[in-house]
Amino acid sequence: MITVEQTASGRASAREVVVWDPLVRLIHWSLALTILLNGAFVEEESKAHEWIGYVALGLVGLRLVWALFGPAYARFSAFPPSPARAVRHLRAIVRGNRSVHLSHNPLGTLMVYNIWASVIAIGVTGYMMTTITFFGVEWVEEAHEVLFGWLLFSVSLHVAGVAFDTWWSGVNLVRAMINGRKTIPEGRKVQ
Amino acid sequence: MKLGLWPAKTKERRATVLAGLILLQGVSALFFIGDVILDFREDGHLDNPHLLLESIAAVALVSGVIFLMIELRGLMSRMSDMQTGLDIAHGHMAAIVGEFFDEWNLTQAERDVALMILKGLDNDAIARVRNTASGTVRAQATSIYAKSNSDGRAQFISLFVEELIAGNERLAQGA
Ligand code: HEM
Ligand code: HEM
Repeated sequence: MITVEQTASGRASAREVVVWDPLVRLIHWSLALTILLNGAFVEEESKAHEWIGYVALGLVGLRLVWALFGPAYARFSAFPPSPARAVRHLRAIVRGNRSVHLSHNPLGTLMVYNIWASVIAIGVTGYMMTTITFFGVEWVEEAHEVLFGWLLFSVSLHVAGVAFDTWWSGVNLVRAMINGRKTIPEGRKVQ
Repeated sequence: MKLGLWPAKTKERRATVLAGLILLQGVSALFFIGDVILDFREDGHLDNPHLLLESIAAVALVSGVIFLMIELRGLMSRMSDMQTGLDIAHGHMAAIVGEFFDEWNLTQAERDVALMILKGLDNDAIARVRNTASGTVRAQATSIYAKSNSDGRAQFISLFVEELIAGNERLAQGA
């Protein structure tokens, strides 16, 4: 009966907004899976490792194309990379502003571009190792490893950021990445 | 917590299937492109029939991916238009209901009860939600029917249904 009271109060109650289309969600979890597989489970110098790495590269490529002409929340224009906006966002948090971002928040945005760039760089150095020119070249292998370390660090921050924003804004972000919907708490400002 | 992994609405299901196809076809395109590059690296020129065929397949697959992406974008935008329409309809309906309640001079308690009657709750359920005796709810309902000039629950609800249908006819004529 509680649900009746909630809906009886009408439009002022919490509302749901569809933000992530299925392609964004599928790409996200597939990408996470490929990184997990290549980082933890698959033999390093195997064909499987190379193919999974290329699939990760393809996923990022697909996502970037989608960001050019996909639905509004998935587009670059919804989350422009801007350190200035990120700083303003941080200040807003310090001031206690709990408004909700429908796409990525400005801080998360920087992380998203960082993760995409890292995956591409890992893929490129991986490919270089298979070419005659760079086969066995020390710094390429080093770069591949170091970049992977950087990606691991980034993903840890990423997951911590998601946890923080979920607690801070009251919007379950992980759920939104699964079923596509952000549930905006009653009366909360939206950006 | 129900996550709704497999969407209940037909359009959303279509969108999910489309996204899956884009992913699968994108990966297949990748394999073909990879193979073309590999062969090219071993062979050095692009003019043998095998490589040509593979290149054509790769181009076809990539075009397919882009076509599917455009389809998916169209579907997503139709879904969001429909949602906007529904929101507007909800808003209108809420406004209309509010206007009727104002016109009949319902008290705040009566407004709450009337809304629950519209939502299909019977008197006992309303009493439980509002933590009052069902006798109280019955009295409030009687007062609501009197103020709205209706002879009972069914006619009271039909007042609003009529408004909804009349509104649609007006819309249809306008179009
Ligand atoms: C290797 C692992 C991971 C990688 C590479 C990764 C990468 C990304 C990227 C690139 C995005 C942006 C999505 C887009 O716009 O397409 C994103 C968003 C997101 N990821 Fe991950 N992710 C990983 C793991 C996880 C995990 C384990 C979780 C769950 C705890 C998670 C939760 C999220 C959420 C909730 C968002 C949306 C954030 C928002 O609402 O702004 N990710 N991730
Ligand atoms: C983007 C996804 C990728 C991830 C997360 C990844 C991750 C890793 C990791 C963790 C290692 C082990 C480094 C070490 O400790 O020695 C490794 C090694 C290696 N990777 Fe990748 N990799 C990716 C893509 C690729 C690609 C696309 C290729 C090549 C086509 C590739 C080729 C290699 C090779 C040849 C090694 C062995 C290097 C050595 O042991 O000296 N990787 N990769």
